Amino acid sequence: MKQRPFLGWFVSPAALVALGLTAAMAAILQYSVRAYVPGSLNVGGLTLDNFTALLRPLYAWAFWGTILLCLLTAVFTLILAYPVAYALVRVRSKALKSFILIASVTPLFLGEVVRTYSWMIVLGNNGFINSVLKSLGIIDRPLQMMFTTSGVVAALVHVTMPIMVIMLAAGLSHIDRNYEKAAESLGAGPVRRFMTITLPLSMPGIVAGFSTAFAWTFSAFATPQLIGGGKVSTVSTLVYQLGFASFNFPFAASLSLAGLVMTFAVIALMKRAMRPVERLGEQ
Amino acid sequence: MLMRTDTGTAAPSLPEARPAVQLDGVTKQFGDATALHEAWLKIVPGEFMTLLGPSGCGKTTLLNLIAGFLDADAGEIFIDGTLVTETPAHKREIGIVFQNYALFPHMTVANNVAYGLKTRGVEAGEIKRRVDEALALVKLTGFGDRKPRQLSGGQQQRVALARALVIRPKVLLLDEPFSALDKNLRAAMQIELKEIQQRLGVTTIFVTHDQAEALSMSDRIAVMSAGRIHQIAGPQDIYRRPQDRFVASFIGDASVLTGKLLSANETMAQVALGPLTVEVLAAPLAGLTAGADVDLFVRPEHLIPVDGDAAGTGLPGTVRTQVFQGGHVDLYIDMPGYAAQPVLLRSSGAHAPSMPKTGDLIRIRPASTDLVAFPRQGD
Repeated sequence: MKQRPFLGWFVSPAALVALGLTAAMAAILQYSVRAYVPGSLNVGGLTLDNFTALLRPLYAWAFWGTILLCLLTAVFTLILAYPVAYALVRVRSKALKSFILIASVTPLFLGEVVRTYSWMIVLGNNGFINSVLKSLGIIDRPLQMMFTTSGVVAALVHVTMPIMVIMLAAGLSHIDRNYEKAAESLGAGPVRRFMTITLPLSMPGIVAGFSTAFAWTFSAFATPQLIGGGKVSTVSTLVYQLGFASFNFPFAASLSLAGLVMTFAVIALMKRAMRPVERLGEQ
Repeated sequence: MLMRTDTGTAAPSLPEARPAVQLDGVTKQFGDATALHEAWLKIVPGEFMTLLGPSGCGKTTLLNLIAGFLDADAGEIFIDGTLVTETPAHKREIGIVFQNYALFPHMTVANNVAYGLKTRGVEAGEIKRRVDEALALVKLTGFGDRKPRQLSGGQQQRVALARALVIRPKVLLLDEPFSALDKNLRAAMQIELKEIQQRLGVTTIFVTHDQAEALSMSDRIAVMSAGRIHQIAGPQDIYRRPQDRFVASFIGDASVLTGKLLSANETMAQVALGPLTVEVLAAPLAGLTAGADVDLFVRPEHLIPVDGDAAGTGLPGTVRTQVFQGGHVDLYIDMPGYAAQPVLLRSSGAHAPSMPKTGDLIRIRPASTDLVAFPRQGD
């Protein structure tokens, strides 16, 4: 340890935080196997009832709906973020580069709640979109966007964009421009170059960004709660209702754990499913 | 077959033949800086043309302009008689080998080589045949299923070469392809590349900052500096008859001796070097009158030690350093009054024991061949 005399000092705070997190996870695990005592914050004896309750259709649908919501969000975020990340990496002008970076990363510092409220202003029945469409005479009655899945996805995409742009840009910036030049000299036009070189080589960034967006959305709470308004049930809003409306901590704990396991499982599946895409260039 | 039928032999055709590549006053600006200033160049079919110069001289810019990766600000580019100034790179039918090879890392060797054939819509059987043939040409038969990262540097370079040649390019562009290889491998690859180039007769433009590489491989060399082409000539002429000071000092070693112009006719001029008189080419001294100060550029192997110390037979100097180089011995000689910098004399190592030692007085004279002089600069 002579080479790194401060290693211990630096590691100890991190170890403390890790210890805290592990303890919290252990507490949740412990709660999830305890019986719920209605009307009391204390829990009963050991039981597996909380997990069997998860199999009820209501909760199965909530899981399915959440996964769908996450996939939709991740897909739209990817589609919107890729061109932004591409521009961020490839634009020559330094001023434009800084502008794209600031514009795409700033939302990260606004916080989820602030961003969600601004989307409520945009999506509401008397909100920005509806007033513009009404004054243009395109619609008579407001379009329902609040309390819908589409509204939640729109807001979640915005919330997820910065992290996706950063991860895609990191992946894209590692691609040697000479690969594209070589492809170009070998007769590949812009579309072919993108499909056979740039896209396959940016797959690591895409996989990382997509997985992060998925996990990020799975744990999102404020956006589905406020914009979904109880009409769009996700795992995190259910956990909130169970824990803080019904005070059923054991069931909320088992739901949280199931959500965590589900996230890992879906991400693992996705990585597997994306392997053929990574081999695009081989065709 | 990879063999090109339209050029046939490896020997460069006569200059009257339609140029494989022609640049007419091509200029490129980057902001306020002129990266390339009115380049005029004609490359004959089958020729091995080298663009040689220090980094930042514009040689890579010129290559990128021919490849179509950059747009010229002025002038025209022709490839095989066709105007291509506005043609995008992917329609120019050129092969390129990059300094870092740029093999597609997510594809096998065979798919790398096949890439340019697939873009051209060649049918599968033909692709396989031509890929095998190209891999055989670079002695990599059986390596088709490997990934580039599983190959050594030399093997990667061969794949890059096969990938560029398999499309039967109108021009092969090589961007410092040897700089990433170690010394021994580099020499072997140089010979191999030259052989393949001659066998196929493919017009080749080679970019390098390594003058030894340029001299040994090229049919002709274009020496560049600060965005300008200084001289275009065969390796022998570049070495023996440099057109200006830059070429004389950049190519090979040269010492500068100070002299005075005595007289000149159409072709040759006489220069006084202390008690000696030497003959130099007249062209670089055009416009000077007798008595003008000139700088004489002398190759180290063209300096001869003079026996005895009779004045008038040689210029006096003191040996500053003696460096044994294996095959030869380098003497650095202080010659106050004749040269501002120590003068380099190179002698065959066979006479090493009888060589003057550091501190010895010595008399030397330039051999009578291949001397060039240029007007004294500024100061």
